[in-house]
Amino acid sequence: MISYKYADKRTVIHRLNPWCKLAWIASVFILALLFNNPLYLLLLFLSTLPLLLAARVWREWASLLKLFLLLCLLIIVINALVGNRGSHVLYQIPFAIPLVGAPKITLEAILCGAGNSLRLLAIVSAFTMLTFTIHPDDLMLVLMKAKLPYKSVLVTSLSARFVPALTGDAQCIADVHRSRGLELDKGSRIRRAKNYMAIAIPLLSNSLDRAVQVAEAMESRAFGSGKDRTFYKELKTTQFDTTVLGFALLPLAVGIGMRWLGYGGYEYYPILPGISFTQPEAIMLGGLALSLNMVFILAPLKRRIDLD
Amino acid sequence: MIRINGLTFRYSDIDKPALQDINLEIQEGEFVLVTGPSGGGKSSLCRCLNGLIPHFYGGEITGKVEVDGLDTMKHSTKELATKVGMVFQDPENQLVAMDVEREIAFGLENLGFPRELMARRVEEALDTVGIASLRHRTVNELSGGEKQRVAIASVLALYPHILVLDEPTSELDPKGAEEVLNVAERLNDELGITVILIEHRLDRVVQHVDRMIVLDDGLIVSDGTPQSTLSDGEVSKHGVGVPPIIKLVQGLREKGISIDDTPLTVKAGRATLARVFQHRVIPGWGAERSEEAANNLALQTKVANDSKSDHARPLIEVRGLYHIYPGEVVALKNISLKMHEGEFVAIMGRNASGKTTLVKHFNGLLKPIKGDVMVDGVNTKEASCAELAKKIGYVFQNPNDHLFADTVEQEIAFPLRNLEFDSGEMEPMIEQVLTRFGLTQYRHRYPRSLSGGEKQRVALASILVSLPKIIILDEPTRGMEYKLKAELMSFLDDYRKDGGVVVLVTQDVETVAEYGDRVILLSEGRIVVDGAKRDLLSQALLFSPQINRLAQWFKSYGVPSDVLTVNEVLGMVT
Repeated sequence: MISYKYADKRTVIHRLNPWCKLAWIASVFILALLFNNPLYLLLLFLSTLPLLLAARVWREWASLLKLFLLLCLLIIVINALVGNRGSHVLYQIPFAIPLVGAPKITLEAILCGAGNSLRLLAIVSAFTMLTFTIHPDDLMLVLMKAKLPYKSVLVTSLSARFVPALTGDAQCIADVHRSRGLELDKGSRIRRAKNYMAIAIPLLSNSLDRAVQVAEAMESRAFGSGKDRTFYKELKTTQFDTTVLGFALLPLAVGIGMRWLGYGGYEYYPILPGISFTQPEAIMLGGLALSLNMVFILAPLKRRIDLD
Repeated sequence: MIRINGLTFRYSDIDKPALQDINLEIQEGEFVLVTGPSGGGKSSLCRCLNGLIPHFYGGEITGKVEVDGLDTMKHSTKELATKVGMVFQDPENQLVAMDVEREIAFGLENLGFPRELMARRVEEALDTVGIASLRHRTVNELSGGEKQRVAIASVLALYPHILVLDEPTSELDPKGAEEVLNVAERLNDELGITVILIEHRLDRVVQHVDRMIVLDDGLIVSDGTPQSTLSDGEVSKHGVGVPPIIKLVQGLREKGISIDDTPLTVKAGRATLARVFQHRVIPGWGAERSEEAANNLALQTKVANDSKSDHARPLIEVRGLYHIYPGEVVALKNISLKMHEGEFVAIMGRNASGKTTLVKHFNGLLKPIKGDVMVDGVNTKEASCAELAKKIGYVFQNPNDHLFADTVEQEIAFPLRNLEFDSGEMEPMIEQVLTRFGLTQYRHRYPRSLSGGEKQRVALASILVSLPKIIILDEPTRGMEYKLKAELMSFLDDYRKDGGVVVLVTQDVETVAEYGDRVILLSEGRIVVDGAKRDLLSQALLFSPQINRLAQWFKSYGVPSDVLTVNEVLGMVT
């Protein structure tokens, strides 16, 4: 069973300052939106892998990826059916589909879908890092530093805290009703809706009870006392962290620079242009790849440098 | 110091007052046990102590509550947090942070403590409760007992003088409960913190408390030392589960034997009752009992024979059952057993020993990875859960998970509809079960608005309405008040006598000692022993019931060492 929640795997990546990780994730995210060139996007996607491996979250990542690959397939198929501005016709559909007309499947449309899929996958990888390597409470601290109101941040973190309890509850209620002879997918549509109510009502009602109890417990521990709240854990940002933070933002700077110089764009339609790199572009691309992996290279040094 | 004068409180949505004219004074350093039936007002009293009533729960309140000189009407729960620490029933629903240290610091953070002071307080709280080894753990991976101790540490960090524990052990297994109660005793003993503990299981705590208060119907019906409260025969009428040893003393007194002291522990019992056992045991009583023993033996040999030949078809038969959860350890290893008509089987064992996994195979919630489970001749691999539901009823611990319909009647009809009975058949079945469980007057009520005991009865009725041959109960007595437990158990006994099979998953030794006849002990997914309860529960070190531990001491006076219950002892004494 893969649990889709944060677990401290005690890797160098988990120990890294959350600001650094957030900066890196933001870099990947923005660059993925900035570039169109599929090779750039592929590079971006591949550059997320070393960090995922180092954080030992590849199993979680792989199972998410499976889900998103299905979505990618869907993107490619729909794009192939809808995007008809390409010129390399692979197949002309012989009949008309209402609203779409008689579409032609073109190489350009397929590749455009594939390119956009790469973009999506790079973003999924980045957010895998966010979910599985940043402690929710640390994330809360970061958001607080970013001046978000404490109560809304707490609610978010509380809901994360109660996900396992809620899934356990749902499982148990489903077992109760299966034992009472309930077969969820049997009968007419109304009957089936009613069947689901048998699970939904106790679940909802138990959750409300839970909410009241949590509120009661929080109140009993002086929550909302009106005093300025302090924080037990502080996000210590050492000089090393600041350095890593700089390196985490470096690819963003390099990428924006390259885009400004006119690199990294790509137009699939109407005819697929060939991809070739000039020497300076290739050098810059190498620099981009290196800068994307700087966090991976620097992270293991944290403990050594912090001890010095 | 707590002073309560003429306190009456009524929740805004309930007509009956939850507390009526309470007058109470609790001194600093006292250890007070509060007990009584559910709905008697115990939790409401707790809520008054830190201002949750009237600040969090609205209603009608008269009278005065003063805690450390602060009037709780004028001072809110938040202000009282540093005076009164509250620990609640469900460990799941009172922890808010992801990890232990931050959980303990939560109250301190709310009060704006500087970080250095917080670090010190967290450290102290961890040590006081003895959970320093858990400090870096995630809350979600802790056991119930550990969670409850974290909850205690998290209120202790605020340095309260008073600790209120509202049924802190009712969701825990015996080991977890022991851990939590030990902490409460130590805090009172060593630090002089006033402890107010609500608890149903008295045998474990009663020797440590200074004072015992019984609440019923919102009234204080008894208030005094545990000895005086418990030797007063009246308290059991208020649904207090008097520990077996005290019941024994009461019984002996009724027989005209004078016993000066009321022993609260087995140790005290040995001293107090030595004289009685020395002089009053009927000589040769063991022989009289041999008839029952012979019966027992007959039953056992019957079971043994059945497992060899196959002349009586068992209702449940398990052959070489293995179960492995995905990616995890083996939960059941090579389980084989048979259960016949009229058996009352207790399945016991530590947490995670495979008890629930085993019984979930009986009604098809889980399917064997290897091996076979036959229920009334049907292989569970070839039947759906719904088909098996006609033969087997499964009662889960929390009645709240069962209830969803608009009325009690519909709730009870629900499984019959699932099992496709026609409405002509359903009517009399529903009628019968409503009468059997005394629910006729509630038939049109919304089940979730009933009291705890009533909900339990509705849940049970909704399982038994389809007249299954086998009934499985998964820890039904955990956290259940005494009266309800006795009711449930005598019902199950009748059910067994009518030819049904009762399978009870439990860790409650005293209940098994009183009811049931066969015990299956599981450990790490294997059956360790399977036999008659008398063989298993006597002389089993800590696993035996209180009376047996007492009886073993008096072996030399002719007391058989396999005595389990109060009535047996009373039977052998003149």
